[in-house]
Formats: sequence, C-alpha cells, structure tokens
Amino acid sequence: MKGKLVTIISAVILLSMILSACQTPADNEIIQTVIVEGTPQTIVVTATPNPDSAEPAADEEPVIKKIRANFTSGDVPTIDPAVAQDSSAIQILEETYVGLTRMDEIDSTIVPGIAESWDISEDGLTYTFHLRKDIPWVRYNPRSGEVEQVLDCEGNPRMVTADDVVYGTLRTLTPATASPYAYLLKFVLDGASEFSEGDTTDPETVGITAIDELTLEMNFIAPAAYNINIAGMWPATPQPKWLIEGDDCTEARNERWIEAGVYQSYGPYALKEWVHDYTISLIKNPFWPGTDDIPQPKIDEIEFLMLDDTAAFAEYEAGNMDVALHAPIADLDRIKADPVLSQELHISPQFSTYFYGFNTKAPVVDDVRVRRALSLAVDRESLIDKVLKGDQEPAGWFCRPGLVACPTHDTHPSLGVKYDPEQARQILDEYLQEKGLTADKLDISLFINDSSGHQRIAEAIQQMWKDALGINVQIQKQEWKVFLETTKSRETPQVWRMGWNLDYPDANNFIHEVMSVNGNANPADDNGEPYGGINWKNERFEELCDQAAVEMDPQKRIEMYAEAEQILVWEDAAIIPIYWYTSVEVTRPYIVRTYANSNTQHFEKWDIVN
Amino acid sequence: MSSDTTATKTLSQNGVPHLASGPRESLFADAVRRLVRNKAAIIGAVIILGLVSLAVFADQIAPYPYDRQTLDDQNVAPAWVIKVFPTIKGYTAASDKYPLGADYVGRDLLSRIIYGARVSLTVAFIGPLISLLIGVVYGSISGYCGGWIDNLMMRIVDVLYAFPSLLFIILLLAFFRSSSMNPEAGTFLYAMNQLDARTGGMLFIFIGIGLTAWQNMARLTRGQVLAVREKEYIEAARTVGAKPFGIMFRHILPNILGPLVVSETLTIPGYITTEAFLSFIGLGVNPPTPSWGSMISEGARVIRTYPNQAIFPALALAVTMFAFNFLGDGLRDAFDPRQRGTQ
Amino acid sequence: MGPYILRRLIYLLAVLLTVSAITFGLMHAVPGGPFTTEKALPEAVIESLEEHYHLNDPLIVQYGRYLSDVMIPHFSLTPPGNSLDEDALFKLKIGPVYMRWMNFGPSYAARNRTVNDIFRDQLPVSIQLGVMALAVALIIGLPLGTMAALKQNSILDYTGMSVAIFGVSVPVIVLGPILIWVFGVTLKWLPPSGWGAKPPFTYFFLPAKFDPEYFKYALMPAVALGMGSSAIIARLTRASLLQVIREDYIRTARAKGLRERTILIRHALKNAMIPVVTILGPMFAALVTGTFVTELTFGIPGMGRYFVTSITNRDYPVIMGTILLYAVFLVIANLVVDIIYGFLDPRISYD
Repeated sequence: MKGKLVTIISAVILLSMILSACQTPADNEIIQTVIVEGTPQTIVVTATPNPDSAEPAADEEPVIKKIRANFTSGDVPTIDPAVAQDSSAIQILEETYVGLTRMDEIDSTIVPGIAESWDISEDGLTYTFHLRKDIPWVRYNPRSGEVEQVLDCEGNPRMVTADDVVYGTLRTLTPATASPYAYLLKFVLDGASEFSEGDTTDPETVGITAIDELTLEMNFIAPAAYNINIAGMWPATPQPKWLIEGDDCTEARNERWIEAGVYQSYGPYALKEWVHDYTISLIKNPFWPGTDDIPQPKIDEIEFLMLDDTAAFAEYEAGNMDVALHAPIADLDRIKADPVLSQELHISPQFSTYFYGFNTKAPVVDDVRVRRALSLAVDRESLIDKVLKGDQEPAGWFCRPGLVACPTHDTHPSLGVKYDPEQARQILDEYLQEKGLTADKLDISLFINDSSGHQRIAEAIQQMWKDALGINVQIQKQEWKVFLETTKSRETPQVWRMGWNLDYPDANNFIHEVMSVNGNANPADDNGEPYGGINWKNERFEELCDQAAVEMDPQKRIEMYAEAEQILVWEDAAIIPIYWYTSVEVTRPYIVRTYANSNTQHFEKWDIVN
Repeated sequence: MSSDTTATKTLSQNGVPHLASGPRESLFADAVRRLVRNKAAIIGAVIILGLVSLAVFADQIAPYPYDRQTLDDQNVAPAWVIKVFPTIKGYTAASDKYPLGADYVGRDLLSRIIYGARVSLTVAFIGPLISLLIGVVYGSISGYCGGWIDNLMMRIVDVLYAFPSLLFIILLLAFFRSSSMNPEAGTFLYAMNQLDARTGGMLFIFIGIGLTAWQNMARLTRGQVLAVREKEYIEAARTVGAKPFGIMFRHILPNILGPLVVSETLTIPGYITTEAFLSFIGLGVNPPTPSWGSMISEGARVIRTYPNQAIFPALALAVTMFAFNFLGDGLRDAFDPRQRGTQ
Repeated sequence: MGPYILRRLIYLLAVLLTVSAITFGLMHAVPGGPFTTEKALPEAVIESLEEHYHLNDPLIVQYGRYLSDVMIPHFSLTPPGNSLDEDALFKLKIGPVYMRWMNFGPSYAARNRTVNDIFRDQLPVSIQLGVMALAVALIIGLPLGTMAALKQNSILDYTGMSVAIFGVSVPVIVLGPILIWVFGVTLKWLPPSGWGAKPPFTYFFLPAKFDPEYFKYALMPAVALGMGSSAIIARLTRASLLQVIREDYIRTARAKGLRERTILIRHALKNAMIPVVTILGPMFAALVTGTFVTELTFGIPGMGRYFVTSITNRDYPVIMGTILLYAVFLVIANLVVDIIYGFLDPRISYD
C-alpha cells in the first residue's frame, strides 16, 4: 500500500516537473522572483525593481508596475457612462471618465475633477464650472501598444471641452439611450425631467449650457446640497460624440464604441484590453495632467479578473493576484487565524444598508406591534459576529452614518431600534392577547432571493424570532428577477429582504429615494397611493423628507432626518434595519493603497513598493 | 445543464437489453438467482434499504432536529474531525456535542445529513416514477398504435429531447414560485403551493425533474412494444377478440415492464445530481429544509475553511450513488437474458 | 448517404422551429423581464427600452422578426455598419455584394454585444473544454471498462467499476474546489482558474496557439468535467464488451487459434465500440453545453454560464440563442454518430 502511494506521488511530481519545465512566460509579462514573507515565490504579474541589482536602473527596461485585482463573476455589462449601472462598470469609469467633480474615496468630500473650480450663484441654483484646459482625449492603440492622443479632422489633439460635457449629459438624458441613472439628473437638473421623458426634444430646455470651450453652466431645480455630487457623477461626464455618431474623419461606432482599441477616454487610465467574461485591463494614460486630488497613476497596468469570489480568493492565495476586493465570507475564520492573511486583511465601512421590509398592509404585519416586536428580536450583534463575520455594524436605522446629513451614534445615541427580546415579547404579547392568538399560530413568510448569503442571514433570523417570540416564520426563496417583481408588486409578501447602496453620499439618497412614497422600496400608483414594497405612507415622514432636501443648515437637516428615521424604524416600524455593510479585502504588503468607502477604488493613488 | 444527467439518460437508452421471450416465471426466478449471487448489487440494495430507513425514521435516529440552531456552536467540530482535517485546527472550537460537527449557524451536520436523505431519496424514487408513468403510457400508445400517430408522437419526443431540460426546470420553478404569492384559496394551484411550502419547496423540484425526464422512457417503451406486438401470443389474443386496451395492459405491459424498471434504476443517480445542481444555482429546497445538494453546494463554498461541511454530505451522496449504480448494474446484468448461464 | 443526410438536415430544421417556438412562448410567460432591476428603472426608460427592442409588439410578430433575422440572408452593396442591428454571425463578401446571415439579436444584459458575439467569443472556449473533457472521459473510461470486462467479477473489475462510479458520484461542485485547493493553491502546479486562449480563434474554435501553458489551464477543468462521463463510458464499455466476447464469431476466432490480443483488438473491441460511439454524440453536446458549474468554479470565459445566466437575466435573445445552439448540437452530434455507426457496423445502411 505504502509503496504504491509513493509511486503515485512520485509520478505526479514527475509530471508536474515536466509541466513546469515547459512553462513559457507569456510575451508581455515580466517574471521575477521576489521574497515574500521569507519564502521565495515567483510572482508573474507583479514586476518589482530588484534592490540587489548592481546594474543602474536606467540601463534596464523600464519596469512595468502591474497589479491584478478582481471583479465579480460575469462580464462587465457596459462601460458606456450613459448607461453604466454595475459597480464594475462604475469602477472602470472612475478611472477612465472623471466627472466635473469627484467624491474623495475616504472622507466623501467633494474635490475638483475635470473642473478646476466652480462658482455658485447667490440663490444656490446656478453652478458655473471652469474646466481644466489640459485634458486630451486618448485611446489605446493595440498595434503600437501605447496610449495615444485622439486627433480631430485637422490633426490637432482633441481636448475635453464644455461641449463634450453637454453632449454627454444630453445623451444620457435622451429617452432612446434608456439610461438607468438618468433619474439622478432628472431629479436635480432643471428641465432634465421633461427632456428625458420625451415631453420636449429641445436640448435648450435642459439646464446645461456651454458658455465657452471651458466654461459650463448648470441650472438646478433646488438649492440642494447634493447638486454638486450629482453633477460630478458618471451620467454627466463628457462623451465623444465623434466616435459614437461619427464625423468627417471618424467612423460611427454606435453602441460598439466601448470596445477595446476603439474606446476613447481621458481619465488617469485608458482601456487596454477587454476579453469578455474574463478580464478587463487598464493602462496608465500618460497624457492625464495629474491634479492634486487625482494624481498621475504610479501603477502602469491594472488587470481585473472576472471571477467568483471563491475562485478569486484561490488566485490570491496561489499568489497570482495582488488584491482580492471581496474576500469570501466563508473563508473569514481561516483568514483571521492565518498569520499572513490576517495581516493582509482590511475591513472598511461601506455606504450600504441591509434591511428587511414589511408590507405594512399584509396580514399580521399590518399591526405595528408585530413589526416592532420582530425588529426588536433581531440580535444584530450575534448575527454579525457569528454569521456575517465581516465586522459589519449593527444598524439601528436605515441611513448609513457617515453619509452627509445622516444621524450617527454620537449625535443620536438613542435613535432607532436595538436588540431587546424582553420588550419584543411584551409588545407581541399585548398583540396576541388582544387578538386571542398564540405566537405559533402567526403565519408569516419571509421572502429572499436565491443567494447563499441571504439564506444564511434569513436562517439565523428565523431562529432568533423562534427563540425570542416563538414565531415560526417560513422562508421562501425566489429567483432574482421574480423576487424583484414580487417585492414591488401588489402582492408583496409580508417580510422581504433588500439592500441599498449609495449613489451619492447624502441622506436624501437613502431615506427619501428609497422609503418615501414612490421611492425604490415603496412603489405607488398615479394617485400617490403606495401599493407594494413597504406599502407605507406617513405624512410627517414625507414632509420631513421634502423639507430636509432643500434645508441649507446642515445641523437642522440631520435633525429632520433623525426624526424621519425614528418614524420609519420605530413609530411605524416599516422596515427592520439589520446591518451596515463593510468591505472585506486582502492586499499584498507590497501595495500601498487607499481604502475607499464605496465600491469604487481610486487606483491612481496606489503604488507598489518593496 | 448537468452533464451527468443527460449522459445517464442516454445510457439507459442503449444499455438495456432486448426483451426476454419465453415463460416469465422461470426467467424471473433465474434473474433473482443471478442478482443474489452478485455481491455488489446486494451490498447496494442493503445500503439503499438502510438509507430509506434512515430517511423514514429520521425523527427517531437524528440526534437533533434539523433546524435546531445554536449560534454559539457554529462551525465547531469534534476532536476526531479536527484530527482528520488538521488544517482547521487553528480556528475551530472542539466540541463533542455534534458527531460530525456543526454548520455555519450551529446546526448538527449529522442530523441534517440524515434528514437530507429524505429529499435525495424522494428525488431518487419520485423522479423515476413520474418519468416511468408518463414515459410508459406515452411510449406504449405510440408503439401500439403505430402509423402516423406513432410518427407524430415520436417527433414530439425528438423535439423535447433537443430541448435542454434544465431550462425547462428553471422556467418552471420560476413560474410556480412566483405565482405562489396569490393564487386564490381552494384552487388547484393554491393546493400545490401549500404542498410545496409544506415540503420545503420539494414538490416543484420533483415535478420539474420528472416532467423533463420521460422522453427516453417513452422511446424505450415504444421500442419494446414494437418488438412484442407481433409475437404469437399477442396475435393469439387479438384473434380471440381482445380489445387493444386489454391487450396493452394484460399482455404487453407486464412483459416489458421489468426491463423498463431496470433501465430506470440506472438513471437514478442522474436525478440525484440534478437536485444538487439545482441547489447550486439557488433553486433548491427552501431553508432550513436540508438536502444533500444544498448542503454540498453550501459546503463547497467553505471547502477550504471547513472541509468537513462539504465532504460529509458529499460522502453521503457518493455512497448513495454507489449503491444505486451497483444495484442498477446488478439488476441489468440479472435481467439480461443474453447473459443467462454465462457465469 | 447523401439523401439521408439531407433528410436529416430538413428534420433538424423542423426540430429547431418547434424548439424555438416553445422556448419563445415559455420565456415570455415567466414573470420578471429583462429590465427588472434592483434599482427600479423609471417607467419611461423601460418603455424606451422595450420600444428599442420591439418588445411591445405582439409575441407572434416578435417571433416572426426573430426567425427572419436568423434565417433570411441580407444582401447589400455597402458593407454593413457597426450598429448591433446589422451584426450577423456570417458576414461574407461575394463579388460586389455583401451578405450577412444569421443575426441572433442583441444581448439585453450587455448593451454593446450581440448573441453573435457571444457565439464568436465564448462558444469556442466551451467547445475546447468539451473536447478535452471528452478526451479525458475516453482516456479514463475505455481502459477501465475494458479491464473490468476482461476480468469480470474479479477484484480488478470491482475496483475498476468503483473508480468509475466514484467519478460520477463526486459532483463537480465539490471536485472542482478540491482540485483547485490541492493543485492550484497548495502545490501551485496548475493555475487555479482561467483559460489559456482568448479570441480571436483560428477556424472559429481553435486557440491561436497550442502551448503547454494552454494545457495547464485546461487540465483541471477538463478532468473535473470529464470525470462523470468517464464513468459512463467505462460502464458501457464493460457491458458491451461482456456481451460481444460471448458472441459466436469471437468463439470462432478463438477456435481458429487467433491470438487473444488480435481477437480482442480486431474483433471484440471494434464491435463493442458501437454503443459507446452512440452515446458520444449526446455526451459531447452535454459536455459543451453543460459546463456551467465547471466554468463558474474555474473562472472560464465559456458559453456554459449563459445557459443559466441568460434565464436568470431574462435576456431573451441569449436564451433563444443558447437553446437553439443546444438543439443544433444535439441533432448534429447524433447525425455524426449515425454516420460513424455506419462505418463501424457494415450491416447498417442508409437509404
């Protein structure tokens, strides 16, 4: 037996030696052996200068700094700023299409993007942006392997102009473009709503005008604090009209203009290669002028692998990836116990909230006491410690603290809802006595979509409700598209799960846009009567949302949103806030990086060191 | 599309021997004798019997209820498991409360495997049953009637065969599970939905699997019927004025059913893997109902961190597949008249 | 032979028409649409999308349009433009005339791609994987089955069959991650994920170059995928060989004093291969299209995932494309098998 085993093992080893002997490096990769944590490893993709080298660096081939990171599995659906909506697409746009302004990835403040400055009118409605004059359009030329400037029909470099921004914004708003994020503009930009709904086809009616080549004026509906955020987002970036629609010297590419080799952009990185369903690579744009907030990149190339989180983490552990942007929850116990991986692990807050919604008109949960009891009985801390493990924060209310105008634990320590099984039982008992029922007779269904993560959470909460209240809740899984339709239909189930991820960092994007009548989780008919989702209308809540949107005093805004939250999660208990997200990442020690609080990283600030 | 499923389907089509002729009883006795001599098949049969009793008496046998959670015990493992999988030592609490360890919310793995046998075994029996029922009726009508009816019916089978069953199952499940929110009480659909909810979402999976798997059975049956239909004793029955229906049920079906059932046992592993695959893509049973498929696909996600959570249910599945395969092979060998007397 | 193939091809067309009609009806009947998204799209956007993709027309009109896009060749004197509507799987230039044929329509999930693109870029990868998995299945299955048959009821037989059944018993869902863990991460012999070839492909489906690197990528997924099929081949080979070696002509050959090896190879194996060959067709079709789990586990940019994701995305043209592809594969694979069959068994003739 032993002898056989040895034979097999040696055969396998022999085979592997043969295999590795015929290993030939791919053409454009630099192979170098570096010492990582005491063990020699061949890192194929990360080229690092060899400190021991006696040769002066100048004589050598310039070292290409390259990193590999991951997107989730499946192709990036589009990288067209007019129609992008997935986080992977937005990540690519963040590096290739910089907006007028940009949100700092750490503290969420607004910093200049392609506009170097802007003036705001007295009434807060008109913004005049002054664009940088030194930003050329570029494209990657696969034949020369270099990023080159785009020339116009006279042979001059095309620079980013105010007209490009106007074109881009209008293209996003055109009904035929069917942009999923046009709604953001409609909601703040003067005339955008009418134009995008086809009420008018006159672009002049939209509150965006190019005053001259580098001066842009935008007119907003209200003097809201978040106008400047939305003006800087990807739906309002410049877009290359000549490439999409064609001109005298450029072939019209229509929807295909975003293919690698054709794609034109101007941000710190350019698109190098896009192997659909597999990888997407960015290459440094040497023509990006570099600003205080968006420097010239130090890393020359970024390759994103489109991999399932588990597969991506295997690549990371095998040493083929430098950053794993979503470490699998399933492996967190091991990562935290591993001496090397635990050092490379970083958990940072994310502006997203996980919650369960109630259909407040459905049987049983139409009574606020039942809803409150269920919300109080969720032991958020245990859920995080035992099931989620990513150091998420227990959510007492909906709006993620850290967003502009959101209440925080410091400002409002007693706000919202906390785990309290005693109180939960009391409240439920009161209801049960009144109805003459027992807890196990309550018929409640919890709907989730078919993903392993949601299932784990639902199973744990199901048990918490059983333990604390004696309620047996049935979990039902639905396929994603069916689930989305179900939870926004007239037959919305009693309890259903949902999450919300920020579009722009303001409480308005959470409280108002999701929960108020006609919000994302509260669909209403033409008369403004909710019929699905949380199926909920509270006059005071609506009033607070409307007022807070235009309130200029930041302190007052926070108070208004705090009151609105108290109505949402306690007085009416229309939702059960569960946790605030974190992002769990592992990064090699030789990478110097920033940790963004949204899904979008700013790679131009990263570097590789020894 | 699970490759296993399709390929297994095909096997049954070709792996089944021609029909036996001659007196039935002696043939049967002969076959049983040969089956009993086949040790592997007997072991398979014993294992299956054991599994069936596990599933039936799960309430008595399992140390814990399948949905009993203790969050504090999540991912614990007994000492022997830690010894077998030494990599988990650094972060796994040892606890002998659970014979095979506990899962991510602290439920006993062993109990869940025992209860999980219910789903897998039900799939293993109901799937073939539905497929036999539809396939045999369809195939015998087609084969017996012959002519253009036969032609039409077989072309329909051809079309369905070229239709990936997985798509059909997914669409079917999406369809059923979406209308599940509001069918009026008292309707058939409502009753179905109630039953599905009661069985933890198993019902629609069975229906989906069964409805997509009968085409081969239909073809096979037709072939057998064609072969038998011209035999002397059928001729004899016809001449004494027996009705076609009677001939079908009294004379033809009893003669061909044996080999058909045998061939269907060979497809059972395919049904079990289909359930596992459906769980993998998220269309499995509703939590917290355990099934091996859902345990395996959940476990596969943590396989590097807690290998025991994937390997034990996978082992249960593998043993079952072994048993069904050996039994199926044994049955085929035993009922294959060509092999008679060769051992 | 000629008329036979022609007849089968006409039959293929009929099957495809029926399959496409059923699929078309079924997918539209299922709740949820391609534009149902988490952050609900405004009504106006959905309307304009539906208009753009002609989803407001009656189903029968939509179906008719689909059929004509796929089946009717379009001719023009100017080269087709870049727009997605003018894309086609086959674009030819015959003299001064440009012909395009078979447009399977745009993908709703990716705004800049068509189903034709998916066929061009992703299908070849799945074919390569399927071919290699089939090779693995044959390499493992045939010897195992032969050995088991020749030593029937011996230890070799039982072990051989146990190994084979083990192959089907361990699902790819578990086998894949274990392989990755052992060979990709711990031993670092093979890349844990990915594929060694990318578009454009030579002759539609071959990688631009075959190098050891390519096979290193392919080894684990091919084994994971082919394992289950190898078991089926092994069992079938065993059963069929057992049957053949008892046939009269083998006895005759033995009686004539032919060497055992000659008998086995020249007579027994050749005849025993007939049932094995029969299942290779559907097996190949299943391997090429049944790669969802393997592709997801190993991060392979193939077609397999579209069989599932297109349905969950309600990406109607992709659903239609993948289903039709499956049907074509199956019918053609069976046709090829029937032809090979004719060579193996001279008693069968096609007229």
